[in-house]
Amino acid sequence: MTSTTTPMDGQNLLELADEYALGLLDAQERAQVEDALLHDDDLRRAVDNARDRFHELDLTAEPVTPSPHLWENIETAAAERVDDGPPLPSASGARTVTAANDNAVRRWRWAALAGIAASLVLAVGLLRMPSTTPSAAVIAVLVDEAGEPLVIVEDFGDRSTRVTPLVDVTVPAGQTMQLWTLPDEETGPVSLGLIEEPETMILDDGPQLPAPQADQLYEITIEQDGGSPTGRPTGEILGKGFAKQPR
Amino acid sequence: MLCREATRPLDGELMLDHAEALSRCANGDRAALKALFEAEAGRLIAVAERILRRRDVAEEVVQDAFIQIWRKADQYSADRGSARGWIYAVVRNRALNVLRDGRREDLADEADLTRLSETANLHDDRVLDRLDATSRLRQCLQQLDEAKRRSLLMAYMSGYTHGEIAGRMNVPLGTAKAWVRRGLSALRECMG
Repeated sequence: MTSTTTPMDGQNLLELADEYALGLLDAQERAQVEDALLHDDDLRRAVDNARDRFHELDLTAEPVTPSPHLWENIETAAAERVDDGPPLPSASGARTVTAANDNAVRRWRWAALAGIAASLVLAVGLLRMPSTTPSAAVIAVLVDEAGEPLVIVEDFGDRSTRVTPLVDVTVPAGQTMQLWTLPDEETGPVSLGLIEEPETMILDDGPQLPAPQADQLYEITIEQDGGSPTGRPTGEILGKGFAKQPR
Repeated sequence: MLCREATRPLDGELMLDHAEALSRCANGDRAALKALFEAEAGRLIAVAERILRRRDVAEEVVQDAFIQIWRKADQYSADRGSARGWIYAVVRNRALNVLRDGRREDLADEADLTRLSETANLHDDRVLDRLDATSRLRQCLQQLDEAKRRSLLMAYMSGYTHGEIAGRMNVPLGTAKAWVRRGLSALRECMG
């Protein structure tokens, strides 16, 4: 397997950060960026840089005299907060903590988080496209272990799934890629179909499953030709991602 | 030169160490919040008012922002860039959220012609004159052609959308978007 970096991603991240700092995003896009900022270090760094780039313009504003009651209101609210006990919710407190000994899970989680910026860029891009096609129930950006986005999976919830590769992937002769999802722990992983050629395709003969949910896991493994003999993923995991519902 | 010195925006509040004040806020020191308020509230209201075009709403935004600064001061750390910039961003984000939340119509009601023309002045070279002569931002903005420079200033200083920039500049939406995109990319390159 070979995967190459798509140079657009870094560029789009910087552009998104700039547009956020400038105030050009609409309410929905702003909310998405603010969510992502809680756990996406690359995006946060880009926004921090963009903010500092333009901050001097704030200082060109001529100060005015605040209304007399303004400080009192703030002080009252701040005092309430302190009396509430240990408040000061921090971003770090909201982070997902994974058992330290579960390295595999941990590694994948970081990879998935690293892919969030990429998926956000894509999601904002998708939002801006006129919707002429039926919309997916959920969309997942599958990333490799390094967090590099590999494939977009759009599950339409009607046994059909669109797969859009984002990088070139070469599968060894005699092997094939297989797309899986995990509707729930009890059901276990279910095959959505084989990806014979790394090109945009619709897998339209999937199993009958409950409607796909946000955070549902999608993954691609390398299996022998014809697919996994056991009906469960057996080969190397190429990429994984958690689904989001398009807004 | 003398003129520029006289209108330089930086004055007494430079004495305040914003990062240190934020760290004291995170430890529950209300005096530090008050110091930030006294140094910055007047200018923060002006920044919010440039976006919202109403003093009363701008004051509400600054009030909420200070409470937010108090509560999440511990999220700031030196690796997040300028502490002062972080504080201004809390106010700007709050103002932009109010603006984008569909309250814009209420906000536009009171915008009269005088104020609109004042707003227009924010987007021309007079703003650049207020930046420090040695400012990298100033030099980089000056290198942009006028259309791109004005587009970026309209967005940052007045919270204009791509559509509003296109309307004000009397060009198609795609043109305004391209100006913004190219202007941002040129600035990133210029400022390193």
